Amino acid sequence: MRLELESIEIPGEHDSRERTWRVLESAFAERQPVPRASHWPRVGAIAVAVAALFAAALSPPGRAVLDEVREVVGVERAQPALFSLPTQGRLLVASNAGIWVVQEDGSKRLLGNYREASWSPFGRFVVAAKQNELATLEPDGDVRWTLSRPDVRSPRWSGTETDTRIAYVDRTGLRIVAGDGTDDRLLVPGFRGALAWKPGRPFTLAYASTSHVVVRDVDSGRVLWRAARHPASATIRAEWSASGKRLLVVSASSLVVYDARGSTPLNSGPGMEPIESAALASTGRAVAFVQAAKQLSSLWTIPRIRPDANAARRLFSGSGRFGQVAWAPDAEWLVLSWPAADQWVFVRADGKRIRAISNVSEQFRSRTFPRVEDWCCAP
Amino acid sequence: MRAGRDERAHVRGAQRGSVSDLEALFRTHWPRAYRAAYLVTHDAAAAEDIAQESFLAAIRALDSFDRRRPFGPWLHRIVVNRAIDWSRARRLRSEVELVDSIPAANPAAPPGGDTLAALARLSPEHRAVVVMRYVLEFTPGEIAEALDLPRGTINSRLRRGLDALGCEL
Repeated sequence: MRLELESIEIPGEHDSRERTWRVLESAFAERQPVPRASHWPRVGAIAVAVAALFAAALSPPGRAVLDEVREVVGVERAQPALFSLPTQGRLLVASNAGIWVVQEDGSKRLLGNYREASWSPFGRFVVAAKQNELATLEPDGDVRWTLSRPDVRSPRWSGTETDTRIAYVDRTGLRIVAGDGTDDRLLVPGFRGALAWKPGRPFTLAYASTSHVVVRDVDSGRVLWRAARHPASATIRAEWSASGKRLLVVSASSLVVYDARGSTPLNSGPGMEPIESAALASTGRAVAFVQAAKQLSSLWTIPRIRPDANAARRLFSGSGRFGQVAWAPDAEWLVLSWPAADQWVFVRADGKRIRAISNVSEQFRSRTFPRVEDWCCAP
Repeated sequence: MRAGRDERAHVRGAQRGSVSDLEALFRTHWPRAYRAAYLVTHDAAAAEDIAQESFLAAIRALDSFDRRRPFGPWLHRIVVNRAIDWSRARRLRSEVELVDSIPAANPAAPPGGDTLAALARLSPEHRAVVVMRYVLEFTPGEIAEALDLPRGTINSRLRRGLDALGCEL
């Protein structure tokens, strides 16, 4: 039996060994050897061992070891609470209790009773909306200014370190206000749809209604680009890549990426089930989307944007309806909402790792399933 | 005996920061670690991840490692437990496999293909016991301790695994 098992040829064994050695060599170079004492008293040695275990658990590498152990067990044995995010960044989460900021180490802060929010550029501030108020806040919850408007939603912040604009929608349409709360004005009367700022300057906003996608310089008011949507359908989301070179527009029946080459409709996988949510990676190269069917929902990625059906890969499926999906700022991880399981599922973009978190509603004091609004940069 | 002394010397050297000692440990133990992970998971990418993460975990725990213990069994125990966990997780979420939508061409049967196919028909738990016994050369008692299972269970899994393999082959 031993000879039989040792005769099995394993594909890529040599390459695998050399890849691993390079990883180990690099990890070893970063390690700081601990001086060893030779004759410690037994009690002292035990105390040090316990301390070392705690230290290992609390240090980033130790944390990673513990996380790896958790990750391999999969969704069936999810973590009972959000102990940490799998990668850098901070989440904004909307629950019945309000908007929460979740730090990388899992700590949470309730900002106030708002229903939608997004990060400012560089993650310095938060813009939040409640029924009849737009507000900007520090990440610790301190309010900087507020603006009373009817039925506020979809607040989005853009700009540079010195000059910013906020776009939002209220009962009158799509509006723009400066980052300091001044110069509030109506840009598109009666607008209903999704909007997204192109990163950086000049202040360029994309907004997608049922019938059109428009890209506009908001300071000059000039329309830079406009395209009709065929077939017309309600827009779920619009999102730019970090470079501002690609724009994703999502509806329940289509995913379309716009760039300098024109529009690229993406085939959304087998069956063409309705799209529940979608997100563009900050790199602009990959798209993730959720398809919801009656019995089974699936999370898909298109790792390299191209229009054919073969581009889509299923990363994860499960019973019941999935909610929205969001990319981590480094485009290495995705977070998927799974309300039926009361779980968030963190999925590595290559599909090789999964980490699930249970009891999400309870952790955010929510009667309905909490919604991940935004996953932003580290502070 | 000499191999054991060499290994302790390499562990001591690695604890002091010697890359060549670490490399000696790696080159000695990688083949079996990777083979064991592959034979349990039947997935080369997963085997690489598992073996690599196990070595990384070993590096992180190097300072607290007791040099009187043999390094290989300690490492292989981590590898096999991770491989079992990975296989169980895959089985639990069999529908969540990464689907490559471009089907691969049918490869020619590799050496050992029959054994591999027969092994694949066993459960991960049975595969792990067979692999630990015949690839990693653990005794049934050591397997029982590593997997935290009664020795009778190990003997029974081993017997059933070998019977199934014998029938298949």
